[in-house]
Amino acid sequence: MTEYAIDIANVTKRFADHTAVRDLALRVPTGSVYGLLGPNGAGKTTTIRMILNIIAPDSGKIHIFGRPSNDPHLTQRLGYLPEERGLYRKMQVRRVLKFLAELKGVRGSDADKRIDEWLERLSLKTPEKDWGLAKIDELSRGMQQKVQFIGTLLHDPDLVILDEPFSGLDPINAQALKDTVVELKHRGKTVIFSTHLMDNAERLCDSVCIIARGEKVLDGTVTGVKEEHGLRNVALAIEGDGASGVADILRDTSLVRRADDSNRFFEIELVPGADPQVLLRRIIESGASVQRFEMIQPSLHQIFLQKVANTVRPEERAAWAHVEEGMSGHG
Amino acid sequence: MAKLWAIIKREYLERVRSKWFLIATFFGPIFFSAIIIVPAWLASRSKATSDVYNTIILDATEAGFGQRLAVAIAGDSANRSRMPVVRVVSPAELTKAESTATREVMRKERTGYVVVNQQTMAGEAARYAGANATSMADMAQIKNAIRETILATRLQQVGLDSRKMKEITFIPLDFSTERITERGRAGSGMASVLFGFAIGFLLYMSIVVYGQTIMSGVLEEKTTRVAEVVMSSVPTDTLLAGKVLGVGAVGLTQQVIWIGLTYVMLKLRTPIMAKLGAPTMNFSLPDISLAAAILFLLFFLLGFIFYSSLYAAVGSSVNSESEARQAASPLMIMIVSTGVFIQPVLLNPTGTLAKVLSLIPISSPIIMPIRMAVTGVPPLELAGSLILLAIGCLAALWLASRIYRVGLLMYGKRPTMKEMARWVSYAR
Repeated sequence: MTEYAIDIANVTKRFADHTAVRDLALRVPTGSVYGLLGPNGAGKTTTIRMILNIIAPDSGKIHIFGRPSNDPHLTQRLGYLPEERGLYRKMQVRRVLKFLAELKGVRGSDADKRIDEWLERLSLKTPEKDWGLAKIDELSRGMQQKVQFIGTLLHDPDLVILDEPFSGLDPINAQALKDTVVELKHRGKTVIFSTHLMDNAERLCDSVCIIARGEKVLDGTVTGVKEEHGLRNVALAIEGDGASGVADILRDTSLVRRADDSNRFFEIELVPGADPQVLLRRIIESGASVQRFEMIQPSLHQIFLQKVANTVRPEERAAWAHVEEGMSGHG
Repeated sequence: MAKLWAIIKREYLERVRSKWFLIATFFGPIFFSAIIIVPAWLASRSKATSDVYNTIILDATEAGFGQRLAVAIAGDSANRSRMPVVRVVSPAELTKAESTATREVMRKERTGYVVVNQQTMAGEAARYAGANATSMADMAQIKNAIRETILATRLQQVGLDSRKMKEITFIPLDFSTERITERGRAGSGMASVLFGFAIGFLLYMSIVVYGQTIMSGVLEEKTTRVAEVVMSSVPTDTLLAGKVLGVGAVGLTQQVIWIGLTYVMLKLRTPIMAKLGAPTMNFSLPDISLAAAILFLLFFLLGFIFYSSLYAAVGSSVNSESEARQAASPLMIMIVSTGVFIQPVLLNPTGTLAKVLSLIPISSPIIMPIRMAVTGVPPLELAGSLILLAIGCLAALWLASRIYRVGLLMYGKRPTMKEMARWVSYAR
């Protein structure tokens, strides 16, 4: 087995009027959980489709487990959960799953056994009710997601690719998904997922790659990326009405490079060389009641905003920051 | 190959299992036989409806013609209840009598009225006005009665008694027709036209129905994003081929069942007709050689591949059913305009129109089998038609597979023709 599950070298993909992916290079170590992060339209889905050989790159090379990505035998080792989900609505759950398994080369009798195991495991098959015999459109949204998830993993792939797996999941299914990702990693599988949700990425991923406008912004292990961005961040929590005074201080560009204001909680990135003690003193002098003042590593969220801000147009950034806020509540 | 098989199997089984398929497959032949049996049955009771008895005869002949006509319409002088009302009027009063009768018809008390006068006696003209004026059988009945009465009057004038007259005028002619082809006598002419029409109609319907089935199948895979999962497992060409073959097999299954059941129904036709009290017609099925059957099958398959691959391309390029209907309209126009020519071709199967249409791949899968059913087609024309159709199929598949693999991944607004042309040029 090669060291890298995915090795993308200088890949470019152009569509009619824009370049979706430009000179992208990234390597996903075998057995790792890898996060592909980036705003909408960054080229995540295009990258994933090229990895899956659904579309071919205009230039550059993609190797999966050391083989060229168009090797027809590779598909048996890949499992894919697309961003927007759906299945044949009028088809019986069991038959859908069997069909998906057959497309991945699993033999009929073998597929039946595995389908049973999975249905029981995700409690779609209980002594009272076997949802495997129901049609897809008789299932709730959450159950349909489970079925799709089973379809992705039924052939026991070595590389699992999940495009925005957490979007639209209820907390229980989201937890089940996380558990499964962790379990897959323990079994030596490689998991790559794209997500908007930095909290999840930070907790689940060994490594991440942030792309924006078709280009790589940064990549590396989560720990490495954070260390690289140093200990210049301060977590600040205040109580009472002092927020407006504090906000004035945070606008001082000689001290603060950027601040993420969540009303009572702030994540502050200091200007290089600035003294955190000066900041603390001024906040106390402003009359705010400080609950917490702590030097922290920047969150992935912060790094993401900071990095993407440099490459994305302001109006896109605004839209993006908004989406981020809306979503960070889930994790 | 195993994957192609998995796709064919899914397309086939999911559709054959559906209620719609069962209903269409087993009620289809009943419907078809009804189409054949009911008109024959209706034609057989062309003694018309009882409407003709509920009429008024305005007799302005001043010669008792109306009374004799009433007996002729009733068919039996004893049965007074079936006899139309006769009103003897003078020619001067006729207009007034007509407006009275018109009002009675409007009040639905009477179905209509016949006007007979001197001109009628001379065998020149008669008039009818009524609610059933469009009923061919009723009108034929009245017209025949008038002719009969005129003839009887004339014969009486030359001194023939009425019984003798009945003997002379009674001619129950059974006129049977038979077609001769280069292979000899080939069943009744009527039967082969019916057969040609049935073949044409069957092919036409199958292409429309199964073409659209494929289109909505592709659209479903696209909108539910199943297509992406499938495309990550099999090449798009395999997916397209699997769909076309799977759905084609469904169509074939249905047709075999239809033809089989219709055959049985037609065999049972004579006893059924006898039960209904209709006279049995001499109706022999045209005999089809094995070679012809294979050719029919070939035309069906090629025609199906031609249209269904294009339908698949349309399905892949749009995002909703309503968009699909719009985008498929060029295909619909191609098929419907072919359908329009079925009748002219049936009437003149060896004409230039028929020859040209049976060579163009757009229309040949429907028109050529019709021509084969009703007339002999020179082998050279058959071969030419098949070769052109096969080339058409390859072109359609090539075009469709290129639009298909790009279209399946394109969401958002519907592509323009120009954009689709660019898709075709994409490498992959």
